[in-house]
Amino acid sequence: MKKILLFLLLAVINTGLIMAQTVQITGTVTSSEDNSPMPGVSVVVKGTTIGTITDAQGKYVLNAPANAQALLFSFVGYKTVDVPIEGRTKIDQVLELDVFKVDEIVVVGYGVQKKSEVTGAISSIKGESLASLATPSFDAQLAGRSSGVQITQQTGVLGEAPRLRIRGIGSISSGNYPLVVVDGVPILTGDLGGYASTNALADINPADIESMEILKDGSATAIYGSRASAGVILITTKRGVQGASKMKLAYNNYFGYAAPVNLFDLLNAEQFVLINNEKRSQRGQAAIAFSDGTAFPGRTFDTDWQRAVLRERAFQMDHNLSLTGATETSSYYFSLGYSDQDGVTRPNQMQRYTARANLDQKVKNWLTIGTSIGLTQTEYSGLNTGTNALSGNIFSAIRQHPNVPIYNPDHPTGYNIDLTNPDYVGRWNNVESIGDNLPNIVYVIDKNVYTSRVLRTLGNVYAQFKLLPFLNFKTQLGIDGSKTDGFLYWNPTHGDGKSVNGRVQNNFSNNLRWNIQNILTFNKTFFSDHNLMITLVNETQFQRSQSFNAVGTDLSNEFFSKNIISGTVGTMSVGGGMSESGFISYAGRLNYNYKGKYFLQGSLRYDGISALPPANKWGLFPGGSVGWTVTKEPFMSGIVNVVSDLKLRASYAQVGNVSIGTYPYLGLYGSAKYADYNGIAFSQMGNDQLRWETSKKFDIGFDALLFDGKYKFAFDYYNNDQDGLILAAPIPNSLGVPGNSISKNIGALRNWGYEFSGEAYIIRKKDFSWSIDANLTLARNEVVSLVNHQDITYENVIVREKESIYSIYGYVYLGVNKANGMPMYKKGDGSVIQGNMANSTYYYYMPDNPTAFTTSTTLSATADKVIFGPSLPTYFGGVNSKVNFKGFDFTVMFRYSGGNYVMNATRRDLVNLNFVNNGKEILGRWKSVDEPGDGWTPKLWYQGNTFVNLTGHATSRFIEKGDFIKLQTLTLGYTFPKQLLRRAGIDNLRIFAQGQDILMITKYTGIDPEMETTGTDLNGTPRQKVITFGINLTL
Amino acid sequence: MKKLNNIGMKGMKYISLPVILLAFLLASCQDLIDLKPYSQIDENAAFSTPSLIELSVVGMYQAAQRGDYGGNLRGYPWGAAFVQQGDCRGEDMVNTATFYQLTYTNTYDPTTANNVWWWSDSYRLINRCNIVLEGVQKAADQGIITQAKADQYKGEALLFRAITHFELLIHFARPWKHTADASHPGVPYRTTPYTTAASLEEGIAQGRNTVAECYQKVLADLDQAEQLLPTRAQRGTGKAGLVRSVKQAAAAFKTRVYLHKYDWAKVIEEGSKFLTGGVYAGSYQIEADPGTPFMDSYGNKESIFSLENSGTNNPGVNAALASQYKRRLLVCISPIIWRDPAWLSDDKRRLTTTEATLATNQLVYVSNGRMYTNKYKDVTNYTDASPLIRYAEVVLNMAEAYTRLDPTGTPDANALALLNQVRNRSLADPSTQAYTAGNFATNVELLGAILKERRIEFVGEGRRWPDIHRLQFCPYYPIDGIPQKVANGNPAASAFTLGTPYTGPYGVTAIPYSDFRFLWPIPRVETDANPTLAAQQNPGW
Repeated sequence: MKKILLFLLLAVINTGLIMAQTVQITGTVTSSEDNSPMPGVSVVVKGTTIGTITDAQGKYVLNAPANAQALLFSFVGYKTVDVPIEGRTKIDQVLELDVFKVDEIVVVGYGVQKKSEVTGAISSIKGESLASLATPSFDAQLAGRSSGVQITQQTGVLGEAPRLRIRGIGSISSGNYPLVVVDGVPILTGDLGGYASTNALADINPADIESMEILKDGSATAIYGSRASAGVILITTKRGVQGASKMKLAYNNYFGYAAPVNLFDLLNAEQFVLINNEKRSQRGQAAIAFSDGTAFPGRTFDTDWQRAVLRERAFQMDHNLSLTGATETSSYYFSLGYSDQDGVTRPNQMQRYTARANLDQKVKNWLTIGTSIGLTQTEYSGLNTGTNALSGNIFSAIRQHPNVPIYNPDHPTGYNIDLTNPDYVGRWNNVESIGDNLPNIVYVIDKNVYTSRVLRTLGNVYAQFKLLPFLNFKTQLGIDGSKTDGFLYWNPTHGDGKSVNGRVQNNFSNNLRWNIQNILTFNKTFFSDHNLMITLVNETQFQRSQSFNAVGTDLSNEFFSKNIISGTVGTMSVGGGMSESGFISYAGRLNYNYKGKYFLQGSLRYDGISALPPANKWGLFPGGSVGWTVTKEPFMSGIVNVVSDLKLRASYAQVGNVSIGTYPYLGLYGSAKYADYNGIAFSQMGNDQLRWETSKKFDIGFDALLFDGKYKFAFDYYNNDQDGLILAAPIPNSLGVPGNSISKNIGALRNWGYEFSGEAYIIRKKDFSWSIDANLTLARNEVVSLVNHQDITYENVIVREKESIYSIYGYVYLGVNKANGMPMYKKGDGSVIQGNMANSTYYYYMPDNPTAFTTSTTLSATADKVIFGPSLPTYFGGVNSKVNFKGFDFTVMFRYSGGNYVMNATRRDLVNLNFVNNGKEILGRWKSVDEPGDGWTPKLWYQGNTFVNLTGHATSRFIEKGDFIKLQTLTLGYTFPKQLLRRAGIDNLRIFAQGQDILMITKYTGIDPEMETTGTDLNGTPRQKVITFGINLTL
Repeated sequence: MKKLNNIGMKGMKYISLPVILLAFLLASCQDLIDLKPYSQIDENAAFSTPSLIELSVVGMYQAAQRGDYGGNLRGYPWGAAFVQQGDCRGEDMVNTATFYQLTYTNTYDPTTANNVWWWSDSYRLINRCNIVLEGVQKAADQGIITQAKADQYKGEALLFRAITHFELLIHFARPWKHTADASHPGVPYRTTPYTTAASLEEGIAQGRNTVAECYQKVLADLDQAEQLLPTRAQRGTGKAGLVRSVKQAAAAFKTRVYLHKYDWAKVIEEGSKFLTGGVYAGSYQIEADPGTPFMDSYGNKESIFSLENSGTNNPGVNAALASQYKRRLLVCISPIIWRDPAWLSDDKRRLTTTEATLATNQLVYVSNGRMYTNKYKDVTNYTDASPLIRYAEVVLNMAEAYTRLDPTGTPDANALALLNQVRNRSLADPSTQAYTAGNFATNVELLGAILKERRIEFVGEGRRWPDIHRLQFCPYYPIDGIPQKVANGNPAASAFTLGTPYTGPYGVTAIPYSDFRFLWPIPRVETDANPTLAAQQNPGW
């Protein structure tokens, strides 16, 4: 320490000496674009740290040493220029827009780097490209914008978080969600509680985002060590630019409507009656469906239940007001946001109120303190979207009888509720009540309540010390607190609440995470060519999650339905829980480059977490990368006109995964209550050998600029080997251990692929520009090893060695036996069999006697299923075109994905053979030898669903390819001429119209192939398409 | 630019501040990663105090009452599922919707959830029993609890271990008589607690015990349980002695097991303990009204062992008996048994109600002209007890055993008396309708009446499948495989009109005993993870 102080002192003295003889240089900096003065431009004496920043009028005054040779003018988005002084004392400079952004700054872990010096795979996305998009959360809008990153919004329910995958699936049993860091603080992700789905990332106002960096490879993520295996997303919020004294007030809004991307093609009342009576008659049973009848003579209906549940004009609006500015020593960004969005399914709604204050204050030349505080309240109204729940919105809507009304004025409730069985929707003129015991879904949706209200505080304070011109120390305290309260009400008259005579529930969950970081950065150039940067980090983090809930059933009266009210419920119970997790870390990173030509980066991180047993709490995570800017070599000088910049890079790192649960290594006993007697029981099998999951990430790639940056191209090959995966290793159920599993480090996975991205500035003129960027990812996944090589099977997918994880796995369907309408399958041994509906038994199919049921056999869940293909897309990407013509801007973005298979289980539900409505596919059923139908849909057989449609298994009857191309966004904007606006004191005014998800090209027969979860599409709420209009105003 | 000079000694103290902070953090934060759970108890502490031990014993009952069904707690195996599966595998109840359709239509396979969770939850309970057996003995050895207390707990664990293995045998193994010495495969009889990774190997190596071995172990466990358990009087004659096991329960279960083993003398021996002169004489009685055991499911004098369900802890809307059998109308009484002429039209067990009230002694609930059982009444809070065994069964088990001793002989007086004890209370006019010796030429004929009486008395109590299973080899009333059934779905109301026996149509065809589907397959999740049992799968699956 003493040596450092001495060194420091010498440095100060030295600086003082240099300062002794100075020359004052003044000037004005203007923009080449419109010749307007540019505030905030950095003017630095070349080779020193002496510099200043231009004022609001673009003017600067600089005291340069007498021996100064040149000045460097730099500003974000503009080309940096190197101007020789040549004895002048007044230097005016025009800055040119840096169209190709060669020297962009990118945010990396615990710091920033010049894009040209980055040797890892990082995708940067500017906040402005997402700012005006109507969206519940910014994460959904990242889809298609960068290679290797796959984001899928699986439903149209606001609050349901999209699935994020960065370079594939890296874990089988543990978490797979990237680490999300906001302004340096790792934040909570996932659902934050309550009874309506909530998405932790929706608490960030998209309008506050300056930029997002997605760290994909080992080199970029290694500095996050144990938390990096699923990739890292860095979010930087907007700040004032120091020195730019002009205050800027911006107001942005949009208004629009959302609608389901598509609707199911259901039977109308007439077709419903025909099909359902045919289900009966084929089985020798009497008709039960009647549009007219004695119960309600003459009162016939053709009800569209789907439209009664969904909103086809869901109103959405969003307002943002921000104030940015700076002085010589301070800068600020304040914003207020309000978003009110109706979802496409009733009564789904989201309202978000946000406030943000980002402040930076230069206290001394060597000390800057600052804070970033975001406060959000997000309120959601949700509903039961259970894909197999009687009150699940889609599950129920597609089954409801179209020949009965929704409302019945004669019923005390005003709704059509069955007079004999008040649990069910009214049968009206049908002889039987609805199959699957469904309630009137509209009643349920109108009456039942599911809400969540999240109060989120995301903030940090920091102090940054410039110890020496080349040595910085930053200490930062970050907080992520979420308090969520939820309320649920089930009406006692009808629907889910009927069984318990009404239900009210309140819950509260409180998550508090604090995070302290100390970062020491050394950055110096030696002997003019050797650039060295060293970053040392110490980070500690602690999180406590607490929750409690209260449940009351058997309500005294429907009146008490807004909150749990003391003394109004017959049966009551409470619950709750608490857990903590902690994290300590030390890390270091070294970046070295020689002449900006040869790059070397190495990092080491040493992490300790509470979730592992004492012997294995600590893990070491190394990473390294190299880069070579080939174009800086003399031998390339001949072709720099063509290849203006080419950098080769390679990286390797080992990172870990902390999303492994709270105490996965402990043997535990949890509560186990028998009736009203308290009890405990073995609840988790311990494993004191548990250790880190490691991901070995290898990446090799290059970045190229062609024709002075007119074309950009980047390529990466990546290979991630995930070893020692913590698997919930299956234990035979007959041993009776909790969950039939033990956490063990035994699995291994491999993800590899190729990423391509390109950008072309096709036209670049003053009033007309056109650019296109595109990306493509070819991704593969393979399960390398499992416990004793044993398959892990699920209903529709399998995890098997040498196959892609969650491959679609099921029976081979061969269509209908035209002779008798029976479904035919292929067994594992190749033999063809047919199922006899009458006795639910399979028989070998004999081509010469196709109707004979002679030799019985089975369809074996073990021997007769085959793998159809991956459920993970093997290729995906996006294409984005931007045109600016005079004041108009026109953006089109397409997104595509494919190579995967989807088990369309919704389609299977739509050919349900119970007394419920169906989709139009069922019209193609086999009726008789003379009317064999489409050859794919078997004979109808009342209540033969489990056998005829093989519920509980995937079959190729419903397995489809998931390929698609979507028109993701279409934007048309107009910016009013500046001259016109200036008179009104307006800086900028743009109006725009936008469409999202408005077109899809696919052969997939369901609503949308992206509506799959682990390869299965089942009764999801349709995704939304949105049309909006809005303005961007800056004063 | 002069300002840079200020970074002199004055600034140093500010600089040193974070340095100190850094050092402080480096030194002090190991605590952050040495955390312990708050919501769960470490396994090493689970049997460390008398109160924690009591909690673990109760936890065993929880496993019996509410098994895990893919993350939900449903009534596997003893909270509700044994009734629903036992009924829906038979022909005397009709599954009307999808809920138990795979069971009802015999279309299950190794992945069918109902079979998978049956298997899984049964062994989950068995492991908890073995954990308790080991834990309480250790605690007694260490003086944490008395040996007497440990013995009582062990009795409870042994009883559950025995009856749960026995119930597995009924679904996954062929009946006792399948081979002459019952040497065919039973199920693995687990007696080791599996709590550590090291113990798993041994468990995986253990294959299926033979049926003979399983019966021997079931009976040995029941014998020992009977010795160790307190009597009903010691537990308390009310709910206390009903919802936790007692000596009498062990003896009652033995009559059931011996009946399946065709060991008639032992059925009589165990059953006689309840009769005058027996050790348990007077502890139970046949209630005067057939509805009483259900109207007062915790306070009646007939139920021997039932699991308790409370308003806040019950098998839930997707499993609770009152939910499935009554409120949701998912399973109705089959016209097959409803229209059986042996079930007299004025039998009190036919009394119907349309009320959803709890305090009714009617055993039949009518909706849409269809007949549902009203044995489980609380459609709001699902608090009806789950009836594992009641005295009426012990009586009929004994009656049957008496007839079997001398099949061709004249009707056995004991058998007749025992049968009438159960039947007469339900007759509108016992003086004219009661059976007399004159009604039957031989014991075989009397046996026929007893077997029919079981179907009537226990309708909706899950006893039909166990009877079908054991009667496969009955020399007098053999059942071949799984009987044909009324179609899955709501039968027409007219199908319940009395006067003629039901003669069809049958939507679910019979499956012969030789067919592999007579047995449930060992679940795929088991065979995937257990090579030993994968090699011992029931043939055909």
